[in-house]
Order: sequence, then structure tokens, then C-alpha cells
Amino acid sequence: MKQKIAVKVDDLTVAYNYKPVLWDIDLEIPEGVLMAIVGPNGAGKSTLIKAILGILKPIAGSVSIYEKPYEKQRSLVAYVPQKGSVDWDFPTTALDVVMMGTYGSLGWIKRPGQKEKKAALEALEKVGMLPFKSRQISQLSGGQQQRIFLARALVQDASIYFMDEPFQGVDATTEIAIINILKELRKAGKTVIVVHHDLQTVPEYFDWVTFLNVKKIATGPVKDIFNDDNLTKTYGINYKVSIQE
Amino acid sequence: MSNAQIEIQLIASLVAIACAIPGTFLVLRKMAMISDAISHSILPGIVVGFFITQDLNSPLLILLAALTGVITVVLVERIQKTGLVKEDTAIGLVFPALFSIGVIMIAKNANDVHLDVDAVLLGELAFAPFDRLFISGTDVGPKSLWIIGSILVITVGLLIAFFKELKVSTFDAGLAASLGFSPALIHYGLMTVSSVTTVGAFDAVGAILVVALMIAPAASAYLLTTDLKKMLGLAIVFGVLSAISGYWFAHWLDASIAGSITTMLGVLFLLVYLFAPSKGLIAVMYREKQQRIEVSLLTFLLHLKNHNEETERHVNHLNEHINWQKVRSKTVLDLALKNNMIVIDNKIVSLTEKGDEFTSQAIDYIITNEDAQIEDMKDDFFLFRG
Repeated sequence: MKQKIAVKVDDLTVAYNYKPVLWDIDLEIPEGVLMAIVGPNGAGKSTLIKAILGILKPIAGSVSIYEKPYEKQRSLVAYVPQKGSVDWDFPTTALDVVMMGTYGSLGWIKRPGQKEKKAALEALEKVGMLPFKSRQISQLSGGQQQRIFLARALVQDASIYFMDEPFQGVDATTEIAIINILKELRKAGKTVIVVHHDLQTVPEYFDWVTFLNVKKIATGPVKDIFNDDNLTKTYGINYKVSIQE
Repeated sequence: MSNAQIEIQLIASLVAIACAIPGTFLVLRKMAMISDAISHSILPGIVVGFFITQDLNSPLLILLAALTGVITVVLVERIQKTGLVKEDTAIGLVFPALFSIGVIMIAKNANDVHLDVDAVLLGELAFAPFDRLFISGTDVGPKSLWIIGSILVITVGLLIAFFKELKVSTFDAGLAASLGFSPALIHYGLMTVSSVTTVGAFDAVGAILVVALMIAPAASAYLLTTDLKKMLGLAIVFGVLSAISGYWFAHWLDASIAGSITTMLGVLFLLVYLFAPSKGLIAVMYREKQQRIEVSLLTFLLHLKNHNEETERHVNHLNEHINWQKVRSKTVLDLALKNNMIVIDNKIVSLTEKGDEFTSQAIDYIITNEDAQIEDMKDDFFLFRG
């Protein structure tokens, strides 16, 4: 069976101040996978996502989403940035943050209305945050803030979800709640790409994995390539994880 | 009130509104100092514009000077991007350089230029009504009023049109970029509006007051609300209040209007800083005190829960045994009694059913840090509000 390719990255090189942080990345992400991007700190995991989404400009290479440039496919893509990348003291409520997910489909100038509000409330319900809809975002716990971000991505009703460390600083209950939602997304045929840190949970959570350390080390099904050999190549030290059957 | 007095207050109020709008976003973007930089570095732009147009109120001059403001922002970002110095240093390098160029240009041409450094820094609001706009011979009011009025109309129009874009790019630039709302475009749009407002306002109120009018009302509003629209509204109200009260303060003192308005802005911020209901200094101190008492209460209840022996639960023993952390034991005992959490029988303290349940819930919360089950307790106890 030939799977459709959701995201294709060709010869992508990204540099900060002329120092490359991603070297010549080629990557094909098949439709419908739940993929982890793993690698040590500074491996360029977040950079890869940001370059795919056009937030950072690569110095070489190209990216396509379902065979078209990202700019033409924005509506198919949802993005969950790192929780720490925003100021949670910003004067706004949980519901309002989720509503921001609808701005993309609205385009410039047009304002969100009842339809958008309804979609946002549904997304809040899905992540179990409906009772907190009117709460100011700084009054939410870390896990709740992460759920709000997830709801904001859900409201975009995209085909491909990019998430930058969604499990960072959340408690175990929230982590399970989030992974369950991600698995549901995959079941619905969506493609989910997650920057992930906890190697122990990779086999349990994901079915696809990309090893990254400035260069791409390997990419493929977890059961085939998530092994000590690739981990050692990526992390540079002799890494051993026991994969429980 | 004379006509001139009304006109001055009107100009000051319009300037305050025009400043409060971009100011709110500057404060939220942690870019307050950029307004200081812009307000000073537009000086060479004004001087050059004046050489070309020979008219301090010409729209061309305003655009030229505003361009200098945007150039300032670009220069600051360029220097910062080298990674050699931090943003505040970059700001400190750029604006005095540009400002001093303006000062030298004025000094060199002092004889034929009707422009002096004092006026630039402090403005001449009191003289604003004398410079009038005539349309085909009819007096339609002070020129400054028309200039700042036009700028205000444009600012409000842009705010209404792009409110959603401004909000999302201020809160989460990454998301804005991924959705296709270029954060750079919105950033430079905001910088342009700030620059134009600064130029338009500073002929009337001077470079220093412009900064105060941009930052102080927004900073005060920030302490009072958790809603962006309300923050904008409050900032506007605070700006206008300070403008009008400042004018009358100056009238009474026979002092500089600009200085008095700035003083009012400072007083207003101080009041809000002290008395804001949840973020104010007094509220915070009160909350901390309550939290101390509540922690003691919890320690006390937990001790009761863990010890069944009567010796451990005797009032005298409790007084000595528990480290009350700056809280008088009587306060804690009274609080526990008032909430029906304990009963004191023959100097032996026992937990009631309510107290027992409360203690379990509280400890459970502290261990798991899960909010959901203690939602109803948040209203009564500060401790659980994070």
C-alpha cells in the first residue's frame, strides 16, 4: 500500500547568524502517522517545525504540504508552540485564546462570530477545560495551559498538527489526556508531529519517529527503527532503552 | 471656561487617547522603552522636514519625522541582532545619537528656524490655540487639534480593523506567523502608528509627555483588568482623566501644563499600584498575610488529624508544639472555630467532621496539585488560588 505523503522536506538547511542548526534535511512524513521528533537539546527539533511552518526562513531547501508550498496549505495545518513561548500574563481568557485558532480561517480583518465561539467551546469541552473558559490564562496551571493550547489547535480542524513539546511541565493525568486526544486525531486520519523529550514513552505513544541531531539520523516506523543503534547515533552516547513488548 | 481653555483640554485629551492605544500594545509587548527612543530620535526628522516644508504642521513633516521613528526601531533591531549587545543597550545607543544630530541641526540654524530644544522636550500646549487653521479664510480651530484629530481617526480605524491581528501577534507571534498574519508587518505597522502619533502629539505636548501618555495609562490599566478590550478602554479613560485634571492643576499652580499632566499620570499610577483590587500592593500584602494564617491553620489541623492522644491535642501543648510562623495561635484557633473545623472540649481540641474532610482535601491538593476537586474552596481560601 502506498501511503500519501503529508509533509515533504527537501534539502532543508536553516542557520542562525550563518551557523547552520539544520543541515540538509530530507524528510517524508506519511499521512496518518503519529510521529515523534527526538534528539538532544540544540538538535534543531523546534527549528525544523518552525521552518516547515514558514516561521523561520531556511537558507536552502523547500517544504511542501500535500505537494504544495505551505503558504497555499495553511488551512490544513495547526501549530502548538512551546508553552513557554508566550506571556501567560497577557490580559485574556482561556476561551479567547482558543478562539485565536479560528483566526486563520477568518483571514485578515474579519472578526470571529458565534460560529467561531461555538467551535472554540467544543474544543474546550474535548480537552476537559470547559469549566475554565472564562478564567484569565495566568490563573491556570501549567497542564491546563497546555490543554488550552491543544484546544486552540483542535479548533483549527486541520489535517496536520505540529506540536512543540506538548508534554513539557504537565502532570501525568494531563499527559495521558493529551496523548489520548492525539491518538484520536490519528484514528481520524490526521497526521500528528510532536517534538518529544521522553524517550521511554516513544514506543507507547507513537507509531513513527524521526531522529534528529542537526542532520537527520533516521526516520520510519517506531517498531523498525527505534533501537539502540539510532539512539546512540543521535545522542552520541551509548544509549540503551528497553522496549517492552 | 474660555474658548482657548476648552481647546487646550480637547487637544490634550485627543493626544491622550491617540497615545493610549498604541501604548497599550507597547506595554504588552514589553516595548515601553521603544516609545522613549522614538520620541527623541524623531527630532532630526522634524528638523529636516522643517527645512523642506517651512511649516511645523505640514503632513509631509509628520511623515518624514515618523520615518525617522521607524528607522530608529530598525537600527535598534539591527544592533540587537548582532548578538553583541542587549536590546536596552541598543536603544540607549541609537536614540541619543539621532537626538543629538537633531540638537546640533537646530543649534546651527537657530537664527532662521523657529524651533528650540525646550519646546521639543516639553511642548507648548498653552500656545497651541494661537496657531490656527484657516480654510478659505475661515478659522476652523487650532492646527494641533486637526492634526491630532486626524491621527486619532486613523489610529482608531486601524485598531478596529486589525484588533484581532494585533492581539494574536502580541500574544503569540509564532501562531500568528503560522496562520499567515505576518508578525513583522504588524510590528512595523504598530511602530509606524506609534511614530506618527508621537510626531503629531509632541508639537503640542513635547517628547517626554508623549512617552508618559503612552506608557502610564496602559501600565495602570494593566493592573486593573484581565481583558484586552477593557485594558484599552481603561487606558483611554486614565489618559483623558490625567489630561484634564493635569490642565487644571497647572492652571491652579500657574505651571507647565505638560509637567502637570505627567504628574497626574504618575499620581494615578501610584494610586492604582497601591489600591488595585487583585494586583495592587495592598491586596498582595493582605493576601500574603491570609496565606500565612491559612498555612498555619492547615499545619494545625493536620497535627490534630495525625494525633489521637489527648496530650498532643491539649491547647497548651499546641501553643508550644506548633511553629506558628509569625501568626498568633489565637488567630488560628479562632479561624478554625469560626469555620466549625474544630471543637474545644475541656481544653482538648478535636477535629470536627468538616475539619477532617477539609484537611484531607487540602493535603490531597497540595500533593497532587490537581485543581478540579477544590474549585469550591478557592473562594474561601487564598491558599488554593495558586
